Amino acid sequence: MFKLLQKLLQRRKAHTDDDWRKNPDISMREAQAKEAKLEKGLEENLRLLQRYAGPSYDFSVRRFKAGGKVPAALVRLDGLTESKTIEEILRTLMVDSRLIKAPDQAGQIAAAAMEQLLTAPAVRESDNLADLFAGLTRGEAALIFDGTPLALMCDAKGFKTRTIIEPDAERALRGPREGFIENLRANTSLIRRRIRIPHLWIESLTVGELTQTEVAFAYIKGLAREKLVREVRERLRRIKIDGVLESGYVEDFIKDTSYSLFPLTFRTERADKVAAGLLEGRVAIFVDGTPHVLLVPAELPMLLQASDDYYEPPPIGSIIRLLRYTALLISLLLPGFYVAVINFHQELLPTALLLRITATREGVPFPVIFEVLLLDGLFEVLREAGVRLPAAIGPAISIVGALILGDAAIRAGLVSPAVVIVIALTAIASFTAPAFSLGISFRILRFAFTVIGAVFGLFGVQFLLLLTVVHLCSLRSFGVPYLTPFAPMIWRDMKDNLLRVWWWGMRDRPKLLGAREPQRTPPGQAPFAGKDPGEEGGKA
Amino acid sequence: MAAEKIANRQLLFILFMMRTIFAIAFLPVLTTADALQDAWASAVISFFGAALLVAVIGGLGVRFPEQTVVQYSQKLLGRWAGKAVSLLPLGAFLFMAATDVRIYTEALTTLFLTETPLGFIIGTMVFAAALAAYAGIETIGRAADLFFPLFILMVFASLAMAVPQAWLLLHNLEPVLARGAGPVLRGAATPIAVISQYMVLTMLIPAVTEPKRALRTALGALVLSSALLLLITVFTVTVLGPHKGARSSYPFLSLVRSLQAGEFLERIEALAMFAWGFAHFVGLAVFLYCGARGLSQVLGLKSYRILIGPMAVIWVTLGVQGYRNEFQLRTLFQPGIAFPLAALGFILLPMSILWLGYGIRALVERFKPGGS
Repeated sequence: MFKLLQKLLQRRKAHTDDDWRKNPDISMREAQAKEAKLEKGLEENLRLLQRYAGPSYDFSVRRFKAGGKVPAALVRLDGLTESKTIEEILRTLMVDSRLIKAPDQAGQIAAAAMEQLLTAPAVRESDNLADLFAGLTRGEAALIFDGTPLALMCDAKGFKTRTIIEPDAERALRGPREGFIENLRANTSLIRRRIRIPHLWIESLTVGELTQTEVAFAYIKGLAREKLVREVRERLRRIKIDGVLESGYVEDFIKDTSYSLFPLTFRTERADKVAAGLLEGRVAIFVDGTPHVLLVPAELPMLLQASDDYYEPPPIGSIIRLLRYTALLISLLLPGFYVAVINFHQELLPTALLLRITATREGVPFPVIFEVLLLDGLFEVLREAGVRLPAAIGPAISIVGALILGDAAIRAGLVSPAVVIVIALTAIASFTAPAFSLGISFRILRFAFTVIGAVFGLFGVQFLLLLTVVHLCSLRSFGVPYLTPFAPMIWRDMKDNLLRVWWWGMRDRPKLLGAREPQRTPPGQAPFAGKDPGEEGGKA
Repeated sequence: MAAEKIANRQLLFILFMMRTIFAIAFLPVLTTADALQDAWASAVISFFGAALLVAVIGGLGVRFPEQTVVQYSQKLLGRWAGKAVSLLPLGAFLFMAATDVRIYTEALTTLFLTETPLGFIIGTMVFAAALAAYAGIETIGRAADLFFPLFILMVFASLAMAVPQAWLLLHNLEPVLARGAGPVLRGAATPIAVISQYMVLTMLIPAVTEPKRALRTALGALVLSSALLLLITVFTVTVLGPHKGARSSYPFLSLVRSLQAGEFLERIEALAMFAWGFAHFVGLAVFLYCGARGLSQVLGLKSYRILIGPMAVIWVTLGVQGYRNEFQLRTLFQPGIAFPLAALGFILLPMSILWLGYGIRALVERFKPGGS
């Protein structure tokens, strides 16, 4: 028995061994590629490259004679490079190389090309396959000369990216219209253009074994807490995954806790928001291939701020902000309150109102909770259906859903108008959340509040509220309590959270983030402070 | 997790809310004795009495800023005697939390949820508090930060609406102090005794960022809550009248219930009930945390967290079974019972033993040769 098993195992091993030679698995291929070095002969090198690239049709090889003598080849991935640049490189090596004293030995041509011939802005040497292929996927062209175990990697980038437009999900009435795109370099350049000091440091690392995605994190050196930067670096380095296609992958790995409905990182497509975050001492995490940039740490109040608040004059910004807070509380609690009051505490309503509501419920066959859940669920379905629809069909859905369905439901006596009002109000209010990720967690919680309100009344609502508060109070985002500055209460930061004061009065950075350089605006800049505004004008 | 700290401000909020909910619940100055229209004087006197007791409680803690009562009692009295003495305040926490939650539940079932079983409400409140205690004192402190403004807002909104009526009925405060000092002193007895809640200070002082100032913080909380107590007393006596107020079960809630703002806003006692619920939750969580933390130190456990589950169950049981009905609960707050039990039993008995230990130790230190 045992022998048989051993035999089987041996056979299996032999089989895989054999297979492995001819057709290695991906991890094996990767390991081999990482160790493979370039050799001396051109033909051997090309065969080696071809073995890893396989029949890929965009893997293009152009053979030529450098300086008219040395056999060489230019290898690139078609579609990632610019033809004009390639032409230029080839002309340099084939034609211009005759102008300089062409070195005879094969080994010297590479050095000469690098020092005297190639005019590309970035040229580097590469001696192993992994590095060479990484360069190719970045849009570099590899020059391989006969007799040299080195390849010259010339920058010849030329791939298509989307143009910079205003992000759809984060519109603002006032403020810059630039949003991030899928190209990491373009994204970081948007930040560089906004913060023009060398102390804006952008570190980069590669995440994803197979996708080899470039992930960069930016911070202002000397402003962001060192501990925070170290923590971000550590958490990013720890990620081991085959591929990263969106910042959501990274988010899952670096969050303080996974067991929360609330977003613990702030995701944005707006360049101005990221710049504002950096100025407060936060760290921004860019992932190549996605326009969504993560800002950490993220607190709940920060997720409730819109960039408009900061561009509009302060009284308006503050009032709109308070309005938004109120709307979010409504979106969280209103259905729960309604159900609880109608079911258990009718005495809390003024008599006239109660009679009115009871009258509209006349003939409705369902209990209140069912009505509310039905309509609220219907609304969520409509919303989800609308998200991915082409813009042309969207209105049709909303007409059918909201107008026809809602109206018909009331006429048919299935739901009462009061519930429609409550749900409509709640739904509209829930869209005031500037961060979608927060809006969705509020919406999910709202269902819980509705159910508990129906079963246990206002006491149940209070109970769930207490649980929510305990949860929120125990959360941290990169060490910063989630409800800062409300809990723990930091009066100094209320200037930017409860209200939004004038920029000349926004004296301090957030206490827990910008402690290294707390002052933001020197005092005494209030226009006409202590002066009579008419005085100067009179003198002139 | 050893370095869990709360700010002194948070301690102030916690202590403030713990004491103020008693005013919201029973308004003991009015209902427990026969002070009637002179209840405000009882409120003033109770402040001084309570301040004295807070000094007794906190004074020793400030002298051992790094240690809880369990730790310094062992230092002062020796290992076993210390542990035995520190069991007294821990037991008091258990008793007070159970009483606290029962009062809240009685009010809730009397006024709103008339058919809900007691055990359910007690269970859910203790469950929420247990979660908070499990999350740690930092979380409780932050919750206190969050609830304090809401609490103040709700209480003051209720009081503000009572202003017009109170102004018209100011004559309800007369005659002033007509019946001598007796009723006033009797009215002050229970509020003074209730300060036994501040025994949590003995557990919380090491958890505060500035433990040396903790006594000042506690006295600040007492000043603020006494001011609010005075305000509530005056409003209740004027609006409801001394006799009706003294007879009602929950004077403050009755007061709020009688209010009407504008033409449509009435029955806002739900608001007051929410305020009470939030503050009550904070107090309960603190009691649970202190109890579990203290017991874990007595038993020498590494973490207090495993104790919270079993303790919460005991708490619920005690809350439900501890009192047969509301009248028994009220009897407890008669000056003749509450004062000896809470002021003498919960505070003075353990604290005097500890102070005695401290005094003897100080004397020994002074006369020890070579000791400075």
